[in-house]
Amino acid sequence: MAKIDISVKILRYLPGKDEKPRWQLFQFAIEDEATILDVLNEIHWQHDGTLSYRRSCRSSICGSCAMKVNGRNVLACETPIHRFGTKLKIEPLSGFSIIKDLVVDLEPFFAKLKRIKPYLIVDKPLPDKEFIQSTAELQAIGESTLCILCAACSAACPSSWPNQDYLGPAALLKAYRFVFDSRDDGSDERLEIINDKNGVWRCHTIFNCMEACPKKIKITDYLSRLKVKVVENSI
Amino acid sequence: MNKDFKQTSRSGSLAWLLQRISAVILFILLMLHFVTYHFLGKGKPVNYHWVMSKVGNWWFPLLQFMFLITALYHGLNGLWSVLEDYTTSKTWRLVWYSLLLTVGVVLLFVGTLTIIKLYTLKIA
Repeated sequence: MAKIDISVKILRYLPGKDEKPRWQLFQFAIEDEATILDVLNEIHWQHDGTLSYRRSCRSSICGSCAMKVNGRNVLACETPIHRFGTKLKIEPLSGFSIIKDLVVDLEPFFAKLKRIKPYLIVDKPLPDKEFIQSTAELQAIGESTLCILCAACSAACPSSWPNQDYLGPAALLKAYRFVFDSRDDGSDERLEIINDKNGVWRCHTIFNCMEACPKKIKITDYLSRLKVKVVENSI
Repeated sequence: MNKDFKQTSRSGSLAWLLQRISAVILFILLMLHFVTYHFLGKGKPVNYHWVMSKVGNWWFPLLQFMFLITALYHGLNGLWSVLEDYTTSKTWRLVWYSLLLTVGVVLLFVGTLTIIKLYTLKIA
């Protein structure tokens, strides 16, 4: 494993101390197969222990380490540095307030998620064993179940930036996941919640969410189907 | 910042649906425009005289008026949708909405007048 020299600019911010976010430059050598998370760990462990960032599983499944690298929202743990070259510019996700450095306040993100009732609502009598779904029924939900709630999509959505009240793609994708679930009986109430000026209609099919999604979920496609479903339901 | 999803009691489903319907109508009208003005000439140059020879036909005001209505609705509704992204205050929403409505009414009036004028024009 060869080592390469990299320069990393990180947006640092400590509310109360810094007036506004500032860039800090780090230069060092690291293995050429390193990930963005390896770079952050190297800085945190060897250069500046005050750098704050979220990390947990290191397997791109917990969704903790979403951040903006060279203008792209990525998961730090799964993104190799060679995707961006030797000059890195690392920032926190856009559209959220910064708690410290790369750590953003995700409370609003999860509050919006809760509003669409992200759980199975069942009115009919429960089956003795598990709910059976056919392959076709499962395919209707498709890859929308793969969302790891990293917030990369909502942070990349230009409709979210000026309007903090907008539900955002992640919550709407979760709504899709349950509305199109054959076992769920809560579609009507969910469709009523998202049929709002701050709901699904703020999505203008910009496709940024799809581009940002580390799980490559076709979010915009699902939201378009959700819009049709809302219209069908309200006519 | 601790912003939650703020439900507004204002649905957008009808506006969304009408935007799609008006887009389809606009596409059909545009095709009709191309056929009637550009392809029916059989090689004749599309110039002032060619266009003016068409304006007295019965379908001219009909086609143009439908064009006017759908283009105005589609354009202004689209603009309103963009403005809604950036305008959250009730006062500003009212200001923008009134402005767009006024622009729509004025353009509808001027457009209709032009269509009638062209249809009734006696070409020398």
